[in-house]
Amino acid sequence: MKRLLLIVTAVLTASSFSYAKLKVVTTTQDLASIASLIGKDRIDLNYIAKGYQDPHFVDAKPSYLLKLRNADLLIAVGLELEVGWLPTLVKDCRNNKIVSGKGYLDASTGIDMIEKPTGQLTRAEGDVHPFGNPHYWLDPENGKAIVQNISNRLSQLDPANAEFYAKNLEEFNRQLENKLKTWQQLMEPHKNTKIITYHRTWGYFCNRFGLMVVDQIEPKPGIPPTPSHTLDVIQKIKELKIKVIIVEPFYDLKTPQSIAQKSGAKLLVLPTSVGGVPEATDYFQLFDYNLKMLLQNLQN
Amino acid sequence: MDAISFLAAPFVAGLVLAGILAYLGLHVVERGVIFVDLAMAQVAALGATVGILFGLDFHSPATYWWSLGFTLLAAFVVTGTRSKKSHIPQEAFIGIVYIVSAALAILIMSKAPQGSEHLKDMLVGNILTVDWPEVVKTGLLYAVIGLLHWVFRKKLMLISLNPEQAQAERLNLRLWDLFFYISFGFVVTSAVDIAGVFLVFSYLVIPSVCAMLFAEKTSSRLTLGWILGTLVSVVGVAMSYLIDLPTGASIVVTFGVCLLICVAIKRLFFAKD
Repeated sequence: MKRLLLIVTAVLTASSFSYAKLKVVTTTQDLASIASLIGKDRIDLNYIAKGYQDPHFVDAKPSYLLKLRNADLLIAVGLELEVGWLPTLVKDCRNNKIVSGKGYLDASTGIDMIEKPTGQLTRAEGDVHPFGNPHYWLDPENGKAIVQNISNRLSQLDPANAEFYAKNLEEFNRQLENKLKTWQQLMEPHKNTKIITYHRTWGYFCNRFGLMVVDQIEPKPGIPPTPSHTLDVIQKIKELKIKVIIVEPFYDLKTPQSIAQKSGAKLLVLPTSVGGVPEATDYFQLFDYNLKMLLQNLQN
Repeated sequence: MDAISFLAAPFVAGLVLAGILAYLGLHVVERGVIFVDLAMAQVAALGATVGILFGLDFHSPATYWWSLGFTLLAAFVVTGTRSKKSHIPQEAFIGIVYIVSAALAILIMSKAPQGSEHLKDMLVGNILTVDWPEVVKTGLLYAVIGLLHWVFRKKLMLISLNPEQAQAERLNLRLWDLFFYISFGFVVTSAVDIAGVFLVFSYLVIPSVCAMLFAEKTSSRLTLGWILGTLVSVVGVAMSYLIDLPTGASIVVTFGVCLLICVAIKRLFFAKD
C-alpha cells in the first residue's frame, strides 16, 4: 500500500512539473493552427470554436469554461467576431489572468481592416461589425501579422522559450512567403474574375487573390434576402457570366442552391477555417484546399 | 428571368399550402390543439438533425424520410394524449413534445458538423427558393391527402367537432385520431421544408380563425378560409416584391393585418348586441 502511494505521489509530482507549460486557449481553430506552429510541443494548446462552426454563434459548453479557467493566455480574433459569446464565457470562468493585459491577445492588432462602416450604425443593416470585417485571417498576408502577434506574446509570457518561438516564427514566415508566391501564381490567370458570395466573409480572401465580389446572396446577415435582390443576383450572374457562388459550410444551402440552379452558376462550399473540411488540416492547407477547389471550377 | 416567372413558383406554393392548411386549420382550431403543428414541425426538424448527424444533407430525400419517420412517431404520441377523462389538457403534452424535441435537436446539433443555423432556417424558411418540381410533388401529395379527407369527411369532422357523439356512434376515436394526425404529419413535414414553421402556422390558424368569426357551417368556413388564404398570398407576395421585403415574413404580417380587418368588420357590421 505504501509503495503504491509513493508511486502515485511520484507520478503526480512528475506530471505537475511537465504541466509547467504555458496554457493557451484560442477562440477559433485557425488561431490554434497558427499558435501550434509557433508553440509546438512547448505550449499546452486548446481551442473553442471548431472550424465547421459559425464563429459568430457558439453555444457555451461546460468544457469551454474548464479550458478558460486554467488558461494563461486567451487568443481571440477580435473585432467583435466573438462578441456574442466570449465575454460571458470569460466572465463566468473566473480567471482574471485572461480578462485583459498580458493574458489576453487580440490577434487583429496591426492589421488593416476592410469594410469599416462609416456614419451611424443601426441594427437595420443586420448583423454588422462596427470595427470592420473580422474575417481577416482569410488573407494569408495577414497571417504574418497574426503570427507575429502570437509569437511576441508567447515570448513575453514564457521568456525561457523565446528563442524557440522566434525560430518557429522565422520558419512559418518562410513557408508562408513561398506558399503565397505559389498561390498568387496559380490565381494570376483568373485576376478580376467576378464571383458571388453568401455573406461578406470572403472580402479579404478575394482582395488578396484578385477576385471581384459582385454581390452577396444575403447582403444583410441573418435577414432572408428579398425577391428583388434575389432576382437581381440571378440576373447579374447571367449577364456577367459568373461561374461560381461561394458559401461558407455552416449555412443552409437551399437558397444558394436555388439561385445556382436558376442562373447556371456553380455552388462552391468553401471552409472559412482550418477544420472546416477534413482536408483543411492547418493554416496552409486551408488556402491550398480553397484555391484548388476554386481553380477546378474556374477552369471549366 | 423576369419577376413574374421568378415569383410564380413561390406564389403557387402559397396557394397549395393555403388549400390544405386552411382546411386542416378548421380541425386544429376546433380540437383546441393550436400548437400541434409547431410540435410536429419541431419533431420533423429533430428527425432532420438526426439525418444530418448521419452525414446527410439537410434538404436531401433521405433526410426527408427521417423527418417523416419522426413525425409519424409524434402522431402516435399526440393521438395517445387525447383523453376526456384526464384533467391534464392535451396542449400540455403538445407543449412538452415541442420543448423536448427542440432541446434534443440542440443537443444533436452540437455534435453535428453543421451548427444551429439549420434550426433557425427551419423556423424562418425561404419560400422564394421553392422550385416547380417541389411544388408539383407537394401539390400531388396534398391532393391525395385531401381526397382521403373528403372521402371520410363525415367521420373526420365528427371526431373533431363532437367526439362524444362520435363515440355514441361507435366510431373508433383512437383510430380516426391516428389517421388524422398521420395525414397531418405528412402535410406539415413537407410544408415546413418549403415555407418554414412561422408561415405554416399562419396558413393553418389565421384563415380558419377569420372564417370562424363569420361562418358557422363547416363548408362556408372552408370556402371563406380558402378565399382569405389566396387573397393574403397574392397581397403578401406582391408586397414583398414591390416594397422589397423578405417574402415569408411579408405573408405572415399580411395574415396578421387580415385578421385585424376581419375583427374590425365583425365589430362594426355584425355586432349583435
